[in-house]
Amino acid sequence: MLTATILVPLIGAVALGSARGVSERAARAGAVTIAAVPLALLIAAWSRFDPGSGRLFQLVEAAPWIPTLGVAYRVGVDGVALVIATASALLFTVSAAYPADTRDRPRHYYAWLLFLEAVSLGVFLALDLLLFYVFFDLSLVGMYFLIGEWGHGDAKRSALKFFLFTLAGSLTMLLGILGLALATEPLTFDMATLIRHQPLAGEGLRSSLVLLGLLFGLGVKTPVVPLHTWLPPAHVDAPGPASAILAGVLLKMGTYGMIRIPFAMMRATFAQWALVLAVIGVISAVYGALVALGQSNLKRRIAYTSVNHMGYVVLAIAAAGGVLAGDEPGRELAITGATTQMVAHGLVTGALFLVAGSFWQRTQDYDIDAYGGLARPAPALTGVTTVAAFASLGLPGLAQFVAEFQIFVGTFSVYPALAAVALLGVLITAALFLQLLQKIFLGDLPARWADFPDLHRSEAVTLGVLVALIVAIGVYPRWLLDAIAGSSRILIGGGS
Amino acid sequence: MLWLTFLLPVAGASALWPWPAIAARGRDPQPADEARDRWVLGVGGVTVVVATLALAMRAAVTRPRSVLEWGGGLILTLEVDRTAAVVAVLVPVVAAPIVAYAAAHEPHRGLGRLVALLVAFVGAMQLLVVAGDLLTLLIGWELVGAVSWALIGHEWWQPEPPGAAAHAFNVTRFGDLGLFLAAAAAFHATGSLRYADLGALDGAALHVVVAGSVLAAAAKSAQVPFSPWLFSAMRGPTPVSALLHAATMVAAGAYLLARLQPVLAMAWWFGPTAIGLGLATALTGGVVAALHPRAKELLAASTSAQYGLMFVAVGAGSTAAGLAHLVAHAAFKSLLFLAAGVAIAAVGSGRLGRMRLGAPLRTVALLTLTGTLALAAIPPLGGAWTKEEVVAAAGERAPWVALLTIAAGGLSAFYAARFQLLAYGPTRRDGALRHVRPPGRTETIAIGVLATFTVALGLLWIPGAGQLVETVAGGTLPEGRAWELVVSLLLVGAGTYAAVVLARRQQLATLGTSPHGAADWLGIPTLAQAAVIDPTLALCRTLARFDDRVVDAGVRAAAAVARAGSRLVTTLSGRGVDGAVEALAAAARRAAGAGSRFDDAGVDGVVEALAAGVGAAGRDSRRLQTGYAHHYYVIVAAGAVVTVVALALWA
Repeated sequence: MLTATILVPLIGAVALGSARGVSERAARAGAVTIAAVPLALLIAAWSRFDPGSGRLFQLVEAAPWIPTLGVAYRVGVDGVALVIATASALLFTVSAAYPADTRDRPRHYYAWLLFLEAVSLGVFLALDLLLFYVFFDLSLVGMYFLIGEWGHGDAKRSALKFFLFTLAGSLTMLLGILGLALATEPLTFDMATLIRHQPLAGEGLRSSLVLLGLLFGLGVKTPVVPLHTWLPPAHVDAPGPASAILAGVLLKMGTYGMIRIPFAMMRATFAQWALVLAVIGVISAVYGALVALGQSNLKRRIAYTSVNHMGYVVLAIAAAGGVLAGDEPGRELAITGATTQMVAHGLVTGALFLVAGSFWQRTQDYDIDAYGGLARPAPALTGVTTVAAFASLGLPGLAQFVAEFQIFVGTFSVYPALAAVALLGVLITAALFLQLLQKIFLGDLPARWADFPDLHRSEAVTLGVLVALIVAIGVYPRWLLDAIAGSSRILIGGGS
Repeated sequence: MLWLTFLLPVAGASALWPWPAIAARGRDPQPADEARDRWVLGVGGVTVVVATLALAMRAAVTRPRSVLEWGGGLILTLEVDRTAAVVAVLVPVVAAPIVAYAAAHEPHRGLGRLVALLVAFVGAMQLLVVAGDLLTLLIGWELVGAVSWALIGHEWWQPEPPGAAAHAFNVTRFGDLGLFLAAAAAFHATGSLRYADLGALDGAALHVVVAGSVLAAAAKSAQVPFSPWLFSAMRGPTPVSALLHAATMVAAGAYLLARLQPVLAMAWWFGPTAIGLGLATALTGGVVAALHPRAKELLAASTSAQYGLMFVAVGAGSTAAGLAHLVAHAAFKSLLFLAAGVAIAAVGSGRLGRMRLGAPLRTVALLTLTGTLALAAIPPLGGAWTKEEVVAAAGERAPWVALLTIAAGGLSAFYAARFQLLAYGPTRRDGALRHVRPPGRTETIAIGVLATFTVALGLLWIPGAGQLVETVAGGTLPEGRAWELVVSLLLVGAGTYAAVVLARRQQLATLGTSPHGAADWLGIPTLAQAAVIDPTLALCRTLARFDDRVVDAGVRAAAAVARAGSRLVTTLSGRGVDGAVEALAAAARRAAGAGSRFDDAGVDGVVEALAAGVGAAGRDSRRLQTGYAHHYYVIVAAGAVVTVVALALWA
C-alpha cells in the first residue's frame, strides 16, 4: 500500500510527461486526481496504523535490492512519518488544484509536481538509509525545475542557489550516512536495525563527525541560521504552489531526517551535541522572526517566518534528545510538538504561500506597502489570510498553537532558559503578522486596487480545505496527536 | 454541559455574523433593512447571551467539572469554583444590555460582525473563567485577546483603529508569554497543568509560575507599565470598551490572581508585588484620569486604577474584597462607558470640554449619576462598600498601604465627579449645545439596566451582607478599622469638592492641556516607543540587511574558497593518481568551464558554477532531463568516491 503511494504519482508523472495533446484543464484535473491517490492511501494507512502497538515501524514493505551492501527497498511508517506524509500528500493535492501559470506547458509542470510528490513521500516512507538519501536528493531535482522553469524574477539563479546549497548539504549527509552504516556489522542500511544497534555509540570524534555531517546536511534543508540564505530567493521567485510545497514539504525533510537519523540512531552522540543544536534552534527562531519583521516583501516575510517556525522544531528535537534518561513526559511532549509543528506549519505556511501566489497572479507585486484596504474588494481573501496569519502567530483554536504549546512546555523540561528566550519569537511573529494584515487589508484602499479580484472558486475551495484542517487541529487535535504520541514514547525510550 | 457556556455563544455568533448580508441578498441596504437588522441582531444577540447566563447560573449552583482529552497527554479541564461562579454569572449579566445597546446604537456598517464578535467574546471569556488548568486558561486568555483585536479594529477602513488594535494585542501578548512560562514550569515540576495540582509546587518552579501569572495578569488588567494599551483599545466602538475594556476582559488579570491566590501566596513576594503594582497603577491612573481631556480615556485610566485596587486586595490576601469590587466595578464602569458613548454621539466628539449634556439629556444624566457616585465610592452605593473593603484589606498589611489606597480613592472621587460634571453637568449658559442627538429607547433602557444593577449593589451596606459575600465568593473579609472609614470618606468628599470648585472656575476640562504630558500615562508610551518599539524595528531592519549582505556573503565566500579548492584538486588530480579522482576532476573542470560563461556576476562559487553547467545544458526541458541525470550521477559518484577514500584513510 505504501509502495503504491510512491508509485502512483511517479507513474502519473511519466504518463503525463509523455502524453500528447493534453489541455491545461485536463492536465490539471489529471494531476489533482493522481495527487489525491496517495492521500487516500495514506488515510487508509492511518486507519490500519496502531499507535498503541508498541512497535515503532508498521505497515512495512520490503524487497531485496543490493543484499551485499545491506541495502534494500524498505518502506513503512511510524506515527511521525505517517502524519507528515499524509500532510504532504494533502499539500500536493491542494497545490496541484491551485491555479498556476504553467506558461503553456501544463504537462511538464504537473508532471514535475507529481514526480516531486512521489519522491517526497519516498523520503518520509523510506526505512532504508540509502533509499532515504536517493529520494532526498531527487526531491531537489523536482523543485529545481519547478522554480527554474515556472518561477518569476531571477528564477534560474534562485533555483540554482537552492539546488547547489541543498546539494552541498545532502553530500555531507551522505558522508554521515555512509559513516554510520559502515560502522555496522554486518553492513546494513536498515533504519530499524540501526536504531536498535546504535552504531558508533561512544566512539568519540568519529561519531561526532558523522553526527555533524548529518546535522549540517539536514540543517541546510530545514533551514537553520546561518544556512538559510537559499530560502528567501527560492521562495520569492518560485510560483505560489511550488513555494507552498517547498515550505510545507521540503523543509520538513530536514527536521524529519533529524528525528529519523541522528536523534534515533545516535542517541548518545546526539545528547552530547544537543545543546549546540538547541542554541541554533533558538537563534533561528528569534533571528528568523526579527528578520521577517524587517521585510517589506510579502513572500520574503513569510519565508523568514519559516526560519522562525522551523527553529522551534529544531529546538524541540534537541530538547527531546538532550538527555538520555529523565524528564520523559516533557521530552515526549517536545517530540510530539515538533511533529505537530511540521504538520501545522505545512498547512499554515502552505496556505500563506498560496495566498502570496494569488497576489502575484493578480498584481505582480509583493511589496506590502503597496497595498491597503483590500478587505473591501476581497473579503474572502482577507478572511482566509487573517485565519492563516493568526494560525501562524500561534493563536489558540488554530493548529500551530497546539504545536508550539507542546514545544515550549516540553522544551522547558530540558532547557528552561532556551525555551524562555524562544518565547520571544511568539511575540515578534504576532507583531509582524498583525502589521502585515494591517498594511495589506486594512485602512485606506488605494484607487488602483479598487477592482482587486476576490478569491476565485478553485482558490476558495483549496484554501478552504487548508483552513478547515487548521481549525480542526486547533480545536480538537486528539486524532492527530494520538497517532504521533505512541511513536514519540518509543523514540524517547530508545526502542525501535 | 459546561462546554456549552463557551460553545453556545460561539455558535450564536457564527449565525449572527452573516445575517445582514444574507438578509440583504446582494442588494444595497435600504432604510427598512437597517431597522430590521438592528432588531434581529439585538434580539438574537441578547437571547444567546441570556441563554449563556442561564447555563452559567446552573453551573454556579451545580459546580460541575468536565475533562476533555486533547491528545498527546494534554487534558483540558473545566472547573467552577466560587470565584469562577461569580465571574461566570457576571459576564453575561453585563454583556446582555451592552449587546442590546450595540445593536441599537452603532453604525449599520459592519453591525453583524460587531454584535457577533461581542457575543463570541462572551463565549471566549466564559472559557477563560471556567478553565480548570493552565492550558485551557491560556486558550481562553488568548482568544479574548484576538477578539479584542478584531473589535478594536472594528472600523478597519479608518486609518487609526487597525494600528491601535495591533498595539493592544502585542502588549497583552507579551503578558501571555508569562502564562506559557507558568504552564511550562508547572508541567515540568508536577507533570500536570491543573490548578488543583499547583499546590505541590515549590522551589524555582513555584517562582516561575507565580511570576508568569503576575506578568500575564498585569498586562491583561492594564497595570503599569502596560496601561497604555488600554488607551489604544479606546479606538474601538463604545460597547466594546464597555464590555471588554472595562467590565470583563480587563478583569481577567484580577480574576486570575483571585482564582489562583492560594497558590500565588505560597511565594513570599507575591503579596508585596501585587500590592505594589496595584497601588502604583491606582495612583498614577488616578492622576491620568484626573487630567485627561477625553471622556473614554478618562474612564480607561480609571479602569486601570480600579483594577489596581483589586490587585491590592488580592495581594493583601482578601480575594473576597477584590472580587466584590470586580463585580461592582463591572456594573458601574460599563454603565459609564455606555453613557460616554451617548454623549460622544450627541456632540460628535470625545472631548469632555464640549459636552455638559445635563439639560438636554436629563434621563441619561441621572442614570449616569448612579455610576459616578459608585465610582466615587459615595455611600450608599455598592461601589463605596466594596472600595472600603479593599481599604480594610490593605489595612491588614500596614496602615500606610491603607492610606495610599485611601488616597487613590480620593483621586477616584475627583475624576468621577469630573466626568459627571463635564459630560453630564449643567449646560453652558451660551446654549451652544441645544441641538443634540438624543439616545434611542434601547440605549436608555440598556443604561437603565446597568444603573439598576449598580444601585442594587447598594444592598451590600445592609448589615450581614458581608457574610453573604464571604459565602458566595469564598475567603474572609477583614474587619475594617473606624479611622480608615473616616479618613476615606473625608478624602472622597475632598476629591468631589475639588472637582466642583474647579468646575465653577471653568478649569475642570483643561487640566491636562498637554496631551503628551502627564495625561498620556506619564509619558510611558513615549518611553516605550523610544526604548522598545523603535529600537526593535531598527534592529529588524538592520538584521534584514545584515542577513542579505553579510550572512549570505559568508556563503558566497565559502563558495569562492570551495572553487579555489576545487581548482587545486583539479590540478592535483590532473597528474593522475587515481582513475576515480580523474573522473571527479573532469566533471569539475567541465562544469567550471560552463560556469564561467554563465555566471555573469562572477561572485558565486563552484557550487553555482557547477549547476550553471546543468542550467545551461537544460534550456530545453527534454534535453535537460538526460543532461541533468548525467551530471547528477557524476556528482553522486564523486561524493561516494571521496567518502570511500576518506573512510579508507580513516581505517
